[in-house]
Amino acid sequence: MEDSPPGSSPDSNSPSRAESFDRDRHVFFLQMMYQLMPSQYQGQEINRLTLAYFAVSGLHILRSVDSLHKEEIISWVLSLQAHPMNEDLLNDGQFYGFHGSRSSQFQKIDNGVWMSNGSHLASTYCALAILKTVGHDLSVTDSETILKSLKNLQQPDGSFMPIHSGAETDLRFVYCAAAISSMLGNWSGMDREMAKEYIINCQSYDGGFGLTPGSESHGGATYCAVASLQLMGYIEDGLPSKSASSCIIDVPLLLDWSLQRQAADGGFQGRPNKPTDTCYAFWVGGVLRILGAYQFIDKTALHKFLLTCQSEYGGFSKLPGQLPDLYHSFYGFSAFSLLEKPGLHPIRVELGIADNAAIGL
Amino acid sequence: MNSNSDHKMPLSQRPEWSDVTPVPQDDGPNPVVPIAYTDDFRETMDYFRAIYLADERSPRALRLTAEAIALNAANYTVWQFRRLILESLEADLHEELNFVDVVASSNSKNYQIWHHRRWAAEKLGAEATSRELEFTKKVFSADAKHYHAWSHRQWVLQALGGWEDELAYCQQLLEEDIFNNSAWNQRYFVITRSPLLGGLETMRDSEVSYTAEAITSKPENESPWRYLRGLFKNDMHSMMNDPQVLSLCLTVLKTKNVSYVFALSMLLDLLCHGLQPSEEFKNAAHALTSEAGPPGSDLARTVCSFLEHVDPMRINYWKWRKSTLPAQVV
Repeated sequence: MEDSPPGSSPDSNSPSRAESFDRDRHVFFLQMMYQLMPSQYQGQEINRLTLAYFAVSGLHILRSVDSLHKEEIISWVLSLQAHPMNEDLLNDGQFYGFHGSRSSQFQKIDNGVWMSNGSHLASTYCALAILKTVGHDLSVTDSETILKSLKNLQQPDGSFMPIHSGAETDLRFVYCAAAISSMLGNWSGMDREMAKEYIINCQSYDGGFGLTPGSESHGGATYCAVASLQLMGYIEDGLPSKSASSCIIDVPLLLDWSLQRQAADGGFQGRPNKPTDTCYAFWVGGVLRILGAYQFIDKTALHKFLLTCQSEYGGFSKLPGQLPDLYHSFYGFSAFSLLEKPGLHPIRVELGIADNAAIGL
Repeated sequence: MNSNSDHKMPLSQRPEWSDVTPVPQDDGPNPVVPIAYTDDFRETMDYFRAIYLADERSPRALRLTAEAIALNAANYTVWQFRRLILESLEADLHEELNFVDVVASSNSKNYQIWHHRRWAAEKLGAEATSRELEFTKKVFSADAKHYHAWSHRQWVLQALGGWEDELAYCQQLLEEDIFNNSAWNQRYFVITRSPLLGGLETMRDSEVSYTAEAITSKPENESPWRYLRGLFKNDMHSMMNDPQVLSLCLTVLKTKNVSYVFALSMLLDLLCHGLQPSEEFKNAAHALTSEAGPPGSDLARTVCSFLEHVDPMRINYWKWRKSTLPAQVV
């Protein structure tokens, strides 16, 4: 970022010239979003649970989740859960998880019963992540239904479809399935071996992972691959050299590719020869953390880059000088947690939530 | 797509919808992250809820889904219901692809649109092939790295065919931008999966030459270096014995004022895999990297030291590589 004196730029879109992470302003930003999201977000209505996850988990990372009404959150999230009318329906091929919002959940007017199951794998992951964050006991949640019907979404090639009525299948949903199973502490809902095979097939010739076999390697897809393998127990902890020979994926190549994603401006890019973007500091940084290689990045340079994406309104933007959005804000906070910024909770990087165990919860 | 006048008049004022009672969204008492919907959005979704609950699969329902999609292209419930309507009405799927073309022009980074395209193309089968390939080309003319479009194109090739011109298309894209990593990836996809070509090993020699040329013109370009390594996937032995590869590294290292990072990194990988370079090569390499290491030390250690120097962002990584060199490395 160019050198110019603080406060010299009158442009309201210019990045914050703050020398440091502005925690209070970020908390304010998230609280505002939590209360009411601007109409520009209405296109994401279908995924409101994901927006809620960004807000709630974000506040937790910033050590401000106690400012929220946890019971209200729990009751709203649970109201989005799909329940089959009876036990037999669990074998009807549908997935009974959580809806992202009322817009995929329909209530019949006359008898008030929720009909039409539009529950979604990613919404289910977000729901469980929120519940875990606010301390709701997941074993009390109707997890049986989720686990029994989860396997209805797994495909013959090991990948997962997000909704039973038909959609694209790719690594994102393998990750959601693995994260859901991990949070519920029960792997009966998915065939891990098959999922592992699919992940292996997604590793590109350059060491990174694409969303589907043959696709270009991409930071987000690589996170999904590595985090899934970690959650499923296929990656050993520790320095890369230990796992190199025994690992099912090409770790040295993955490591080299991932480290090369840190570009000259200190930020991370999602693919070679593409611009840097706040969120990859989490996606790719997270991969490196899982591999035990986070120590190999240039933390100072990353820190400096992230601050150029910090908004004076609170939150983070995708690129320097833009307005903030909730997605990049959440991943900006997560990236600062990976950088071990004092005042932030550490995160369980493979689950994308604060590490309750580390906090002592 | 509906005309502007349709879009602007509230549904409650349109005669054709007078028999329908809109169904409001019931968020419950304390919804989290409520969104400040515009009136247009709220009303459209209230009417959508009504026809969805009534399972109305009429032409007006189809038009309504288009309006809902315009406001909320990510809503998979709307798309799924639209598909049900299209099937019930036995709609012309070529027309449907025209509709998707228009929606995609303002919403192209949206998974549901691409899934819907795939659904329609799958139903049309081979007659959709060239149209879908043309459509993705059009997307690439505006954004040659569009991830969804590349996934779709790969799906079309594998499900419907059309491989004939694919390698030439990759060539064209690379001529336009040799840094286009998506095009390099597609090239790899073609040479490894096209039923019309001989497979990786058959294509390897010519691909190595092509890649070497790309590298020497822009040694700082990561993409062809990765591609070169990919050409020898699971066959480091062949890579070490390919004279083109070694001479390429040396050529780059001899060039003044270029980035040496990838050449050095490749050399390091080869050495770690057991490359036994000739004395001549060793002397030349040492001469080029001598500012980084004392003469007489292992070539691999020298290369690591030089990498610490030319790629300081990853200094900790290169130090670690140096400390974990295999015992027998040169």
